[in-house]
Amino acid sequence: MTEPTTGPAPFADATQVSGTGDVVIELEGVDKLFGDFQALRGIDLRIARQEVVVVIGPSGSGKSTLIRCINRLEKHDAGRIVVGGVELSDDIRSIQGVRRETGMVFQSFNLFPHLTVLDNITLAPRQVRRMPRAKAEAEAMELLERVQIPEQAHKHPGQLSGGQQQRVAIARALAMHPQVMLFDEPTSALDPEMINEVLDVMKELARDGMTMMVVTHEMGFAREVADRVVFMADGEIVEVGTPEHFFTAPTEERTKKFLSQIL
Amino acid sequence: MTAVTWARANLFRDRRDAITTVVAGAVVGWVVFRLLRFAIVTGRWDVVRDNLSLFLVGRYPVDDQWRVVVALVAIAGVAGLVAGQIAGRRRRAAEAAGERLEHPGPAARIVEVVARDWPILGLVLLLLLLARTASPWLVALATIGAALLGRLVGALVPPAIGRAVFVLPVVLPIVLLPFLTGPLGWDSWGGLMLTLLLASISMIACFPLGMLLALGRRSSFPALRAVSVGVVEFFRGVPLVVLVLMSDVALGFFFPRDLLPGKVVRVMVAFTIFTAAYVAEIIRGGLQSVPRGQTEAAQAIGLSPVRVTGFIVLPQALRNVIPALVGQFISLFKDTTLVFIIGFLEVLTVADAVTKQPGYRGQGLITETLVFAALLFWVGSYTLSRESQRLERRLGVGHR
Repeated sequence: MTEPTTGPAPFADATQVSGTGDVVIELEGVDKLFGDFQALRGIDLRIARQEVVVVIGPSGSGKSTLIRCINRLEKHDAGRIVVGGVELSDDIRSIQGVRRETGMVFQSFNLFPHLTVLDNITLAPRQVRRMPRAKAEAEAMELLERVQIPEQAHKHPGQLSGGQQQRVAIARALAMHPQVMLFDEPTSALDPEMINEVLDVMKELARDGMTMMVVTHEMGFAREVADRVVFMADGEIVEVGTPEHFFTAPTEERTKKFLSQIL
Repeated sequence: MTAVTWARANLFRDRRDAITTVVAGAVVGWVVFRLLRFAIVTGRWDVVRDNLSLFLVGRYPVDDQWRVVVALVAIAGVAGLVAGQIAGRRRRAAEAAGERLEHPGPAARIVEVVARDWPILGLVLLLLLLARTASPWLVALATIGAALLGRLVGALVPPAIGRAVFVLPVVLPIVLLPFLTGPLGWDSWGGLMLTLLLASISMIACFPLGMLLALGRRSSFPALRAVSVGVVEFFRGVPLVVLVLMSDVALGFFFPRDLLPGKVVRVMVAFTIFTAAYVAEIIRGGLQSVPRGQTEAAQAIGLSPVRVTGFIVLPQALRNVIPALVGQFISLFKDTTLVFIIGFLEVLTVADAVTKQPGYRGQGLITETLVFAALLFWVGSYTLSRESQRLERRLGVGHR
């Protein structure tokens, strides 16, 4: 990697975290194969507490696969993934342990359509954390206040707009008090006028010190909120940098090409 | 004049329409006229009237028929309690959501119930009119009274205690069956009571079994999968008649006769496993209809595999397959007539046998008795179908 001519220096690689927090997510040489297709090639990545890492890249570059490997929605084929001190293995308890500590927000919301908003949020705390119903519901209402839709608590997801659904999905993920929040293209399925209400909630979360890994195409969000931006292509991490570095003086050819196409 | 305008627009728009209307009207009118004439004028319903108890309870001893009455009242009471408890819960949930449910007056409620359950109410009325004595009216009143009382009490019981109400439908058959079979054992059951017994027990039992087979077929344990596939494919591939016959005779070749349960229980098991095989495939289809994202979201919030299935996938799968499941249950309900081949006095056997009684022999009354038998089955099937549609509507709330 060559030194950039202007702007702050890029990170040597994705294992060098910003800030001083302890490492919450650690990936070492992670490979993922779908049949003959190699989706991830030797990914090394560390994320420290309270960091916001935004992952960008062309479609098919492995961004979603990467984020889905971190809570074992996809099983990695080689390398090590450690989340909150727990290493992912085939042991169901390690998987459950990691999933309890990570909240995930999906592109297509994936709310449970047969449950009310309140039940969507309280299900995991009550079933996994064994929280009493009253306490779980009180916490859920606080979360709904935080995402600014407390009045929707007793509705079903089908009665909500896309933006509201995604905010409920964020509240549902937060209800387990995760150490890390993973966002897999959270605004890609939304109508344009609803994107900001979701991004605002995410910015708020970042300000409150949540550790976040966000796959997104929202460059404005990346520029404003990210501590580090990770650019992926063809299953590899191509370049890592601060937003300033990234959007003013990218080093790699592939990064430049990608940015010129979308900006 | 709206009726005339409507008729002109819909029935007599042009010459061809008019001809179709007149011809079709004549055919339908003639059929309806013949049917009504048969039902009211030419039909000789005394053969049904005189054998009503044979149709309904077979050879259940007259001295013990009070047990049937007690069972009816108990079932109605429990059904009322459960309905009341569910209604109470819905009302509380609606109030919590800040909505107000409308409270229709008693007259409106009666209209609603009649509109909903007219087939069964009509059948009961018909039976009462046929019976010509006072005691069946008392039984009907007691049953309706128990249902209403249960409904009122059920709505008042707070949800915390009300949970116990949902145990009652499970406990009830366990208590009622020995009570009903007490004096004479089940093998002499007959008529509609036998049909209802076979159908309801098999329906209740085949459901969990079918669910287990469906889940087993999707399991990641090869042995479990193999057993599930084997059971489903074997019992779906064998005609039901064969299973019914085998439950009667062939089991004795494989197992010591002394260890076998009674004939009714054996045939019940046959119906249960046969239906469970179909139910398993229906539910498996339902499981596949739930989007992958639902499982992923449930896993991502930390639910264990059992809870992912139990709280997220299965409820959605079952809701999607209600129509198919009910179709299977209706099928089962009607298939119970097959027990006539192993010598049970079920409704069809009765319909045939009573035309051979001394007073009615050789008078061609099989039409009357078969029409009556068909009516009994139609009311049962149609009620199942309507109730399932209500359930679908209710579960569909807020689902896009």
